[in-house]
Parts: sequence; structure tokens; C-alpha cells
Amino acid sequence: MSDQDPDSRYDLGSRQRSFLGLTKESALKGLFGGNAFVSILVLGLITFFLFKEGAGFFGQYREDLTTYRNSGLEYVELMREEQDALSALNRYLNSIRTLQSEQLSASGLEFRDVKAILRKDEAFFYDFEDLAYPLREHILEANEIVATARDSYNEMLDLQEHQQNLLKAGREDEAQNLTIPEVDLEMMFSLVKEKEVEFLAINRQLESGMPKLLDRAPEYDDSELSLKLARFKELASMFILEIPDYELKVVSWNRAESVSLGDAFTSFVFGKEWVTNSSIQDWYGIVPLFSGSLLVAFIAMCFAIPFGVGAAVYVNQVANPIEQNLIKPYIEFISAIPSVVIGFFGIAVFGTLLRTVSGWDALGWIEFFPLSERLTGFTAGCLLALMAIPTIFTLAEDALNNVPLAFREASMAMGSTKLQTIVRIIIPTALSGIISAVLLGFGRVIGETMVVLLCAGNRIEIPQISKGVGVFFEPVHTMTGIIAQELGEVVNGSLHYRALFVVGLTLFLISLLINYFAQKIVIKFQISRG
Amino acid sequence: MTTVAASSSKSMEQALFGKPTKAKSIERVVFWMFRLATYFVLLCAAVIFVDIFYKGGKTVFQSEFPFVNLEFLSESPQTLHVFEHEGQQYELSDTKFREFKETIDETIVTETYAYSGGGIWPCIVGTLLLVLGAMLIALTLGVLSAIFLSEYSRPGKILNAVRLSILNLAGVPSIVFGIFGMGMFVLAFGWNVSLIAGWFTLAFMVLPIVISASEESMRAIPQGLRDASLALGATKWTTIRTNVLPYAMPGILTSSIIGVARVAGETAPIMFTAAYALRDQLPWQGLEHWYDFFFQGVMALPYHIYVVSAKIPQNEFTSRMQYGTAFVFLFIVAGIALASILMRIRMRKKYRW
Repeated sequence: MSDQDPDSRYDLGSRQRSFLGLTKESALKGLFGGNAFVSILVLGLITFFLFKEGAGFFGQYREDLTTYRNSGLEYVELMREEQDALSALNRYLNSIRTLQSEQLSASGLEFRDVKAILRKDEAFFYDFEDLAYPLREHILEANEIVATARDSYNEMLDLQEHQQNLLKAGREDEAQNLTIPEVDLEMMFSLVKEKEVEFLAINRQLESGMPKLLDRAPEYDDSELSLKLARFKELASMFILEIPDYELKVVSWNRAESVSLGDAFTSFVFGKEWVTNSSIQDWYGIVPLFSGSLLVAFIAMCFAIPFGVGAAVYVNQVANPIEQNLIKPYIEFISAIPSVVIGFFGIAVFGTLLRTVSGWDALGWIEFFPLSERLTGFTAGCLLALMAIPTIFTLAEDALNNVPLAFREASMAMGSTKLQTIVRIIIPTALSGIISAVLLGFGRVIGETMVVLLCAGNRIEIPQISKGVGVFFEPVHTMTGIIAQELGEVVNGSLHYRALFVVGLTLFLISLLINYFAQKIVIKFQISRG
Repeated sequence: MTTVAASSSKSMEQALFGKPTKAKSIERVVFWMFRLATYFVLLCAAVIFVDIFYKGGKTVFQSEFPFVNLEFLSESPQTLHVFEHEGQQYELSDTKFREFKETIDETIVTETYAYSGGGIWPCIVGTLLLVLGAMLIALTLGVLSAIFLSEYSRPGKILNAVRLSILNLAGVPSIVFGIFGMGMFVLAFGWNVSLIAGWFTLAFMVLPIVISASEESMRAIPQGLRDASLALGATKWTTIRTNVLPYAMPGILTSSIIGVARVAGETAPIMFTAAYALRDQLPWQGLEHWYDFFFQGVMALPYHIYVVSAKIPQNEFTSRMQYGTAFVFLFIVAGIALASILMRIRMRKKYRW
């Protein structure tokens, strides 16, 4: 590139006519430069805009969480934890009863007889249910108060903002006419706090009542039932021991403790719940979405790496020229299938096919088969693999192609077979290129929207790793999917809108990171071809 | 290698006279695995193509003259009425059903299926408009920027940083551009869901690809060509015009065709910026001012596929519509992609420095 402009005395161009002090040359340069400037500006603007909209989220979320704490909703939620534990116990107890009735019906008894037998220990089950009743009532009442307080507080804030806007717009008389109710969250909460004594009394009642009730538990002849009942008693006594812990949490809860920006940040990054449009409190925790994205990407990469790299090695090293000339364009062509078409194929054909296959008798030994869901992380993962394969294939094939021929010739001359040459010489030499190909394939998978939106099942839940392989066959939700699904219905500037922007920003940063590393790896481990 | 080194002259004999050595046998097995993996990928893709072309073909083509289902290609999506009249089964789109109702007196009880009648003409038009506008913006900005970056700018750290960031932006997920376009054009600029918001969103999405690919093809031209031209006294622009652009043109064209395929194929960026699920009027109908043209939402093929396959109840009538739309869409996008691949193959043969 010639950077130095020639000395103007000898510059033939300087004889050109100029217009507004610009020669044709410099005008053109200005045009190109201007365009380049605009392009770079625009691309920078995208980054800036995402950061700007996203950054506002944390402050807003902090305010939201502060209201959650100040109104006392958090306090009620703490009490609810105890209630949830109690309900779980109750559910377990009921499952015993269901099992018993199933056993009885299976043994060929009449419906009436079954009922009669069940009625014998009815009192125990009902009494246990009644035990939970006072606590439930207490929480319901407290919740009513704090939720109303929170809602009217938010309404007050809205009205205040409206008033400010009116004042700014110079419509002062209108602003004067606005009646803004004063909501004192502290006063409202004190109504609930006053009744803490009742809560403690309920707990004492539970502590004394439950062991007594457990002594009255029915006895079963059946080993399975008595085993389950023993387990229930164990759980119940554990619960009794835990009551002081629940109580301590509730009593020591401090309304005045402020929510810091860091709390809002951790609540987003490590938050295990993504709940929107909830009547109690909206939670924006990215963990379920992030883990869903990772899970789907993991499944996709499990297929895409062996097939993509394998195909690249085959086409580059083994296939004959005719095969090469056919397969290469064909795989590149696959990358042109629009993602929405692949997603549609998943819904219309592949998901159903998977479920049918999982119902085959030959596969009955797999514990989570047959599948109850058609659209799962696995469905989406398989289809995404097909989308990642062309990316991985093309780049890996390029990397293999760049290995100097001399390396191969030298290895063959030493008497090694083709396979030995490939495994020991060619793949290690091209490894940096292959790794970056895999990384870029991963980037493609994690940023893909339509396939996961259509095929992943969209259930917001953290995948349970404890389920083993079965976790792959659960519906999941992803970061890209949540944006596509919820962006259409959010209010501009609301907390939810900003939360989606932060998710988008996270995706943006992830993809930048992946690209950056892919390039770094190629440069760092480049072989010297001297 | 160790196997070969360890093998004595005995195995050498085996290698020469038929019976393969252990290394050779392993090689054959492994190569077959590679081969199967490759063909399995090809097969999977083929299954998708065949499924969509076979089932979609039933909607798009018909057995009698003119062999193409003109109603499907020229009408807008409508509700489908299915009913029996005088012992005959009828499936009529909404407009035809009304005409039919005029001809007879009695009231007819029908089953209706949303989106399952009519055709996809507005979607085709919308997709074409989106692609045209977005590519016009992206190519103007992109190619001119590439000329500047490759020919005028001074090499150095800044240029490298700019190149690196452009390259990085090329890998950003399309949904991120979608959310950006929604926040920036639709809400902040107040353009609402409109053609122009879609144009800019899509254009910015492909801009990094167009810039980096065009610049790449310009930088691949040997410096000697430029030097020779400058040495003869040509100005910089003349040099670029006569000695750079003609040789870079195939590369620029290929990159722009890849851009077209991407713009036409993406759904996520237009979901919130340009696409309507249903719109009665075609883009040139019912405009009050000429500029209203830019500020209207359009229907688009990819979004239509999403709507009919995920947002409405499924039955055999919608399934026909889905496959027909997918067929037309795949046909268009795959056609563009095929053109770019063929062009690249030809170009590789044409210019070798």
C-alpha cells in the first residue's frame, strides 16, 4: 500500500480541477473514509446501546428488590418456606394413602370394601392436614396485607412520576389536582410484624402436636407401606427439629437492611429463578436459561464434533477427488438451510420420530424411555448439531488443507500408514485450526434462536444433573429463546425489558469471547512452515 | 509408526503378498468409520430436503394445468372453510367461500381453520422487499468501507483493532441484532414495526460479513498490480478502478450473495422489527403518503413459517400450508446459496496469483 502521497510538485493529480477545495481524488477518499467511519460508528453504537440499556437493569432491579424487602414480602416468603416444607410432608403422606388404595384395588377388593378399609385410619390423615391449617391461614393473611401494601406503594410511585411529568410539561393545575395516596410501608408491615407472636404460637403447637399425632399413625402389614410410613415419620421428626431454624430466619429478618447493587447483580447472575408476571415477585435469575443454553449446546457439540471433524478428515485425507468435489459443496450447502426451516422440521417430523422411537420395546431398558415430551433439549440439540457441522467442517477442512504436503510426504516416506500419518502428523499440526473451528461451531450453536425456540420445549427450569443422562430428555429454555419469546410483550423501559437486554448483552459477550479465543488459538499455535 | 518399525521382514512379506498387516486392517476400519460419519451427515440433510420438497411439493404443484398451484403463490393467507354441500366435500379459502355462498341460498355449517387457506404472496413480497433494502444499505456501506480499509487506511494498530472487532461482530448471534433493532429503531427512534427498521437491523447484521469478505478479496490482489499502475502515473482512484475492483469483483459478489442468503434466511432479527403475523394489504396498497411505504410492517416467509408452525393449532390443513411455505422459502434461500457456492468454485479456478 502506498501511504506517502507523492510530492505535490510532481503530482499529476494536482492539476485536476477542484470543487469546493476538493479534488476528485480527495473527494473520493472522503467518501470511502466517511462510509468506513459510519460503519465503524454503527457497529460501535450497537455495543454501546446494548451496554446502555443493559446497565440500567441493575439499578432498577435493586429498587424492585428494595420494595420487595421493605414491603415485607420477603418476610412472608420466609414463613412460606416452612409452609412449603409442611405441604411437602403432607404430599408424601397422601402418596402413601394413594399407594394403599391402589394396592387394595389391585388385590381384587370391591370399591366399597376398599373405602371401608381406608376409612379406618382416615382420622390420622385428616388431623395431619389440619395441623398445617393455622400456619397456612396466618401466611395467607400476612400475604394479603403486604401484597396490597406493595401494590399501592407502586401505584403511588407511578402517580408521583406522572405528577413530575405534568409539572415538567407545564400543566401545573392538572398536577395539583392529582391526589396521591400516602403509603407507609413500614406501618403496613408493622401490622404483620405484630402478629409474629401468633406465628411463634403456631410453631409451638406444631412442635407439640406433631409427635403426638405421629404416635397415632396407622400400622400396615405390607412391607412397602410400612417402609414408606417409617420414612415419613423420619421426615416429620426432621421437620420438627428444623422448626427453630425457620423461626430464627423469620425473627431475625431485618427490614431495614438495604439492598446493594451487588445484591441485585448476584441475584441476576446466580439467581435460580426466572419468573415474570408473577403476583408476588418477579425474579430475573439467568441460571436456568444459561444452563439450558449450555445443555443444548453440549448435546449439539457431542454430535457435531465427531461428525464435523470426522467428515473433514475424510474429505481432506481419504476421499477421492470426485467425492471431494461433491461432498464439500453439499456440506456448505447445508449451512444455507434457514434455521426456521430446521426448527419446523423438528416440530413436524423429528420430535415425533424421537418419541416414537423411544416407545419401542427394544429400548424399554432405558429408564427414562418412553419419553413423555416431544420437544426436549435433545431434539433441539440434534438439530443444532446439523447446523454446527457445516461450520466445523469447513473450518476444520481448511485447517487440514493448510498442513504442508511435505509433512505428509515425510511421514509416508518413513513407512507409516495413511491413518498413522493422519493421527500422528496431520491432526496434531492442524489442531489449533480444528479447535478454533469447534469453538466457532459452539458459538453458532449457543447463538441460534429459532431451533431452540421451536424445539427445546421452553420450560424454565434448571436441568437436574442428578437425573443422569435423562436430563437431556427434559424440556429446557435458553437465553436466545427467552428473548424471542418474551421481547414481543414487554413494555418499553420496564424491568422485564431491561432484563432481556442484559440477557442479550450476555449472549453478545459470550460470542465475542468465543470469537476472540478462536482467533487467539489459531495465532498462538500456528505451526512454522519453514 | 511403531507398528511398522517393530515389524520384521516377516510382516513386510505379508504386506507385499496379500494378507494385510494389523495396521492396515485398523486403517480400513477407521476409514470406514470416517466414511460412514460423512455420509450420515449427508443423509440427515437429505432427509430434511426430501421431506420438505416432497410434502411441500404437494401444496405447490398440482397434477392438472398449469401444474403450479397459482392460488398458493398469488393469494394472501386466509381462513380455510371446510364443509360438505350436496354430498360434495369443499375446501375453500375465505374469499372463494363468500363467492360460493352468494350462489346458493341455504346457510352452510363449516369448520374453519385459521391461516390454512389462500397463499403466501404477501410473504414472498415482504421477504423480497426486506432483502432488497437491507442489501442496498449493507452493500453501499460495506463495500465503500472495505475500499477505504484496504486501499486508503494506514496499516497499524488501530486498523488491526478495527479489523479484529469487525471480524468479532460477524459472529454475534442474530437475536442480539434483533433486540438491538427493537430497542434502537422500533422504540428509541419510534419507527415502530416497519420495513425501514427491518432494513437497518438486517443491514447491520450482515455489515461485518460484507466488510470483512470484501476487504479480504481486495487484499488478496498482489501489490504489484497497484504499484505498476501507480508507476505509470495513474491516480489512486484510477488504480483502484482499473486494477483492484475488477479483480476483487467476484469476491465481493460472492460475499454479497452470502449476505443475501443470510438476510433472507434469518427470522430472529425481523421478529420484532419488521414482521407482521398477518396483514391484509400488500405493501403498495392503501398508502396515504409515499413515505408511509417505509413505515409499514410486512409479512415475511420465515416469520410466517414460525407463526403457522408454533402459534396456531395443528391439523392436516395447517400442515399443508406449513410445508408449502417451507418449500418456497427453502427453494429461494437454497437457490441463492447454490449460486454463491457455484460462483465461488468458478472463481477459485479463474484467479490464481
